[in-house]
Amino acid sequence: MKETGERDFSWICDRCKKKLEPRKVKVSYLSGNFEVELMQCPRCKAVFIGEELAEGKMLEVEKGLEDK
Amino acid sequence: MKENRIITRTESLCPVCLRKTEAFIVTDGTDCYLQKTCPEHGDFSAVIWRGGIPMEKWMRHREGAHLEKTVTKVQKGCPYDCGLCEAHRQHTCTALIEVTQRCNLHCRFCFADSSASKNTDLSLGQIKTMYKAILSVSGTCNIQLSGGEPTVRDDLARIVKMGKDLGFPFIQVNTNGIRLAQDEEFVWALKHAGLDSVFLQFDGTKDDIYRKLRGRELLVLKEKAIGNCEKYHIGVVLVPTLVPGVNVDNVGAIVRFALDHIRAVRGVHFQPVSYFGRMPHAPADGDRVTLPEVMDELERQTGGKVKAADFKPAACENALCSFHGNFICRSDGNLVPTAPKTSCCCKNTAEEGAKKAVEFVAGNWSSRQPIRQETEPLSDWDEIINQIRSDSFSISAMAFQDAWNVDLDRIRDCCIHVTTPQGKLIPFCMYNLTDTAGRPLYRDRE
Repeated sequence: MKETGERDFSWICDRCKKKLEPRKVKVSYLSGNFEVELMQCPRCKAVFIGEELAEGKMLEVEKGLEDK
Repeated sequence: MKENRIITRTESLCPVCLRKTEAFIVTDGTDCYLQKTCPEHGDFSAVIWRGGIPMEKWMRHREGAHLEKTVTKVQKGCPYDCGLCEAHRQHTCTALIEVTQRCNLHCRFCFADSSASKNTDLSLGQIKTMYKAILSVSGTCNIQLSGGEPTVRDDLARIVKMGKDLGFPFIQVNTNGIRLAQDEEFVWALKHAGLDSVFLQFDGTKDDIYRKLRGRELLVLKEKAIGNCEKYHIGVVLVPTLVPGVNVDNVGAIVRFALDHIRAVRGVHFQPVSYFGRMPHAPADGDRVTLPEVMDELERQTGGKVKAADFKPAACENALCSFHGNFICRSDGNLVPTAPKTSCCCKNTAEEGAKKAVEFVAGNWSSRQPIRQETEPLSDWDEIINQIRSDSFSISAMAFQDAWNVDLDRIRDCCIHVTTPQGKLIPFCMYNLTDTAGRPLYRDRE
């Protein structure tokens, strides 16, 4: 999945065998709560976070919220 | 009568002869004092901690750093071998270069006032040598160009560019802002040279404060300087020197002023007054304001918008030297702290602390740089990053030490170092410290 929010419909949940769908998901880190669109399994609600996102913008958000 | 209890044992200096003495941090149950005895000049006591947060709860244990590269050898013992020496326990987070001793103000409180070399500026060649000395010992740490008043130098932009060309990623100018207010072309040149941040002397939101501390009204000039920095995208940190009876009652208003100028202002960095220069009498405890008092006042004067519990000690310098809090300013004007409420129980190393502090200062004291996407809408993650970049705001303070309250344990943990023309790096408080006759331990002696 592309970090820019581009949707990738090719992922399937390994446990439920359902296609992942783009859904608004609540994420929290330190005291910050945000709603972001992530690919999610419609049944078990597991979300997929690709490497590019985890090491890119998601990491930038983490660093932005962290203290010295 | 309250009973005194020793919290910790450390070392200090006699304020009269600067001889090293044994010292004790003593508490009467609420306030803490540094107490010491010089065999020749007698007993001394100075308040170092007063307010709602107990010192023992605030203190942190941390393993000291091992410096790969040092400049001086341990010969006479701390604090007489500064440079940095092999016994120093922290890397350089910020290296200062005093590019001039000239100034366009005559302030009541000034670190550099005792300097004898007021009429000779460092040459560009000397400054380059100093930059290289910093690179060799401390790598590409953060740089602060200080003085005197650095903006009295017409070639300040060249000095900034020289540092950038040598690879320093973050350069800040410590200034009273007068020239930045009056000379827009000068501000443009500084930005063009790569200046990241302005450390703006800003003692309050009322002109009677400036009259008392700086000898003239300055508020209009401060606002103009902030406006020019906003125009040319230079981050601003407001730096109030806090003096009891003058502006401690103004800390809440200072934070409100900063938030009203949040497009340019990245944070407020309070500096409780410390006493350098000729002082025939020891400053009274009432002449001092300590870190927990500043935290308490922030909570009281902001009506709880900022809470004392939102602050924590830095991981870089000694815990007793500073506090800081990082916030997101919401659209309704409320501040949301981004650090966890509970304190971290993990053991931090000085190395990790220094690295984080260097990154934090560079990221949070530079100009705001939101993501702009012309063609397609921003993703959710871009929106969050933009919120952090546009609305993050820091409140911090640093307590400098003088001959009366100096704790050598804190000096060994110091990460803010003044560069000498000979390429030595002297912990900031040691560089500025003077005895009661105004004689410095290091300034002008190096």
